[in-house]
Amino acid sequence: MTDHEDTPAVYADATAMTGSGEAMIELEHVDKFFGSFRALGDVNLKVSSQEVVVVIGPSGSGKSTMIRCINRLEEHDAGRIVVDGTELSNDIRNITEVRRETGMVFQSFNLFPHLSVLDNITLAPRKVRKMPKAKAEELGMELLTLVKIPEQAGKYPGQLSGGQQQRVAIARSLAMKPKVMLFDEPTSALDPEMIGEVLDTMKELAASGMTMIVVTHEMGFAREVADRVVFMADGQIVEVGTPEHFFDDPQEERTKLFLSQIL
Amino acid sequence: MSATGAPTRRPAALVWLRRNLFRSPLDSLLTIVFGAVSIWLIYKTLSFIFITGRWEIIRVNLRLLMIGRFPEAHVLRLAITVVGLAGWGGLLAGFIRGRQIRSGRVADDRFTLSRVLDIAVRLSIPALLVLLLLTLAQTPGPWIMTGAAVVAAIIGRAVGPFLGRHTFGPAGAAVIASVLAAVPVALYFYVVTAVGFDDWGGFMLNLFLALCSIVLCFPLGVLLALGRRSALPLVKLVSTAYIELIRGAPLFVLLLLANVALGFFVPDTLAPSTSTRAIVVFTLFTAAYMAEIIRGGLQSVPRGQLEAAKAVGLSPVRQMGYIVLPQALRNVIPAQIGQLISLFKDTTLAGIAMGLFELLNVAGALPAQADFRGQGLIGETITFAALMFWVVSYTMSRESQRLEKRLGVGDR
Repeated sequence: MTDHEDTPAVYADATAMTGSGEAMIELEHVDKFFGSFRALGDVNLKVSSQEVVVVIGPSGSGKSTMIRCINRLEEHDAGRIVVDGTELSNDIRNITEVRRETGMVFQSFNLFPHLSVLDNITLAPRKVRKMPKAKAEELGMELLTLVKIPEQAGKYPGQLSGGQQQRVAIARSLAMKPKVMLFDEPTSALDPEMIGEVLDTMKELAASGMTMIVVTHEMGFAREVADRVVFMADGQIVEVGTPEHFFDDPQEERTKLFLSQIL
Repeated sequence: MSATGAPTRRPAALVWLRRNLFRSPLDSLLTIVFGAVSIWLIYKTLSFIFITGRWEIIRVNLRLLMIGRFPEAHVLRLAITVVGLAGWGGLLAGFIRGRQIRSGRVADDRFTLSRVLDIAVRLSIPALLVLLLLTLAQTPGPWIMTGAAVVAAIIGRAVGPFLGRHTFGPAGAAVIASVLAAVPVALYFYVVTAVGFDDWGGFMLNLFLALCSIVLCFPLGVLLALGRRSALPLVKLVSTAYIELIRGAPLFVLLLLANVALGFFVPDTLAPSTSTRAIVVFTLFTAAYMAEIIRGGLQSVPRGQLEAAKAVGLSPVRQMGYIVLPQALRNVIPAQIGQLISLFKDTTLAGIAMGLFELLNVAGALPAQADFRGQGLIGETITFAALMFWVVSYTMSRESQRLEKRLGVGDR
């Protein structure tokens, strides 16, 4: 970490990585507009391999937009986004390449309701990676065991609880063996008693060395699991730091205000 | 209440009557009025069917009603085709069942009592109609054909699961699929090489027009719906213009145009037969409506589904084919089947607009036959036509409800 006393821009922090040091995701001067509304303004962030970055901030601050730009669910208007050496451009091959290496977990799960749990997981490996059916199902069962619901394989998403659905969604993303996992408020739509089971799964994933960017309001998770915490407001990265630094000794007024509101 | 306070027990039927039919003075009045009207209608209908109706005209002209002026010499081909189709249908149903067993979606193929009963109920109304037609038939031919068709269907259904359950490798699967697809086409050519389209008629023609149009309009409708949502301006413009143009014209006018105006553009020798033109018009017309129904279905699929499909790395074609379209189509099954039922009944318009000798046209012409002229038998012939259409439409409707339930529409 650089010294905050003489840091004119917080971006110095944002681009200084923890973890292995090898850059997995790079955002450089990324802008994103919705009409005339600037959703992201000059966002710079480097995430290294095996690093866990938690993004927090008030609603409308651009957290979700930022991670949705990383797998091109949103198109950025300016700047560069590089994922594992592939720069996102309008070339559909680059986009597909990045999406294959990037898993995403949504707030509202977005499981495919017309497919069984196992088919939800095996569809992409079979169709995109051309994995034989038997092998894909073996992998699917392994992943379901990993998220602790192998007995639900034959059911349909509608028959599962929210927490179970979100764990299936995590398994579905992992089936493509991604190098990066993006989590877009994965616990915000869950009943309180189910949040724990999903966070536990994510903790295990982090411990296994997965590179993760997590947008969340779960401060306990951020403190416990994050290598770095990114605070965003009004489409900009305001402050970046280790959890200890961030929660115990925030530098920016905006950060202090936000933390005082939620803690 | 009796004086002792013990509740008096009234017969359940009386309680039910009181509650449902005579709750208030207005209820009672409505019950009496509508009850009287219903009884009168039922009495009139029954007396028409069993007493006053003279059904001889149907019995004598049954062949004309069913197959029109199809030459007698080639009726055998038709019978063989029906038997072949029955066997093919059974084979296909069994094949699908076998596939489902293989993929683990269905446990087994045992015909339990409840399943047999279910099938019996499903088939009951069409079966009753077939039985009625058979009793009207004056020759043993139809009986033999029906018997053979039933046997063929059962044999096909018995063999089908075996084919479905075994893989035979990719080449084998391709062979089976192409053979299954080729059978109806081959049977069609088997008939049409002997008797050209323009000699087909009766209810057979209605069924054939509807079937061809249904099979053809569905993919066209899907393409148009996707086209209308396309990001490519030209594709979008063409699809939208097509849909709005077709939906703006009455079907009857389109049929007349196809019959008359085609001659302006195409020389007579090249012009397709009237039945072919009818199929083209029905297909193009229904596709426009199907497109809008399917577009509604596409809009009903939440955005998150497409995003999840993208996020797991599916290509755009697969996002649509595996994720969005299956959900869109099943969300609008009732509307789609409604449109297809409507198409089936609209085949009667081809009789009036294009002079095709389909069922309603036959039914309208029969009372002018020498033997029946001046006896006012139009009621009998039209009633018969109505019954035929009702049974097929109702069966389609019921099967669609079944399909909906099986695909679990509504319980996400």
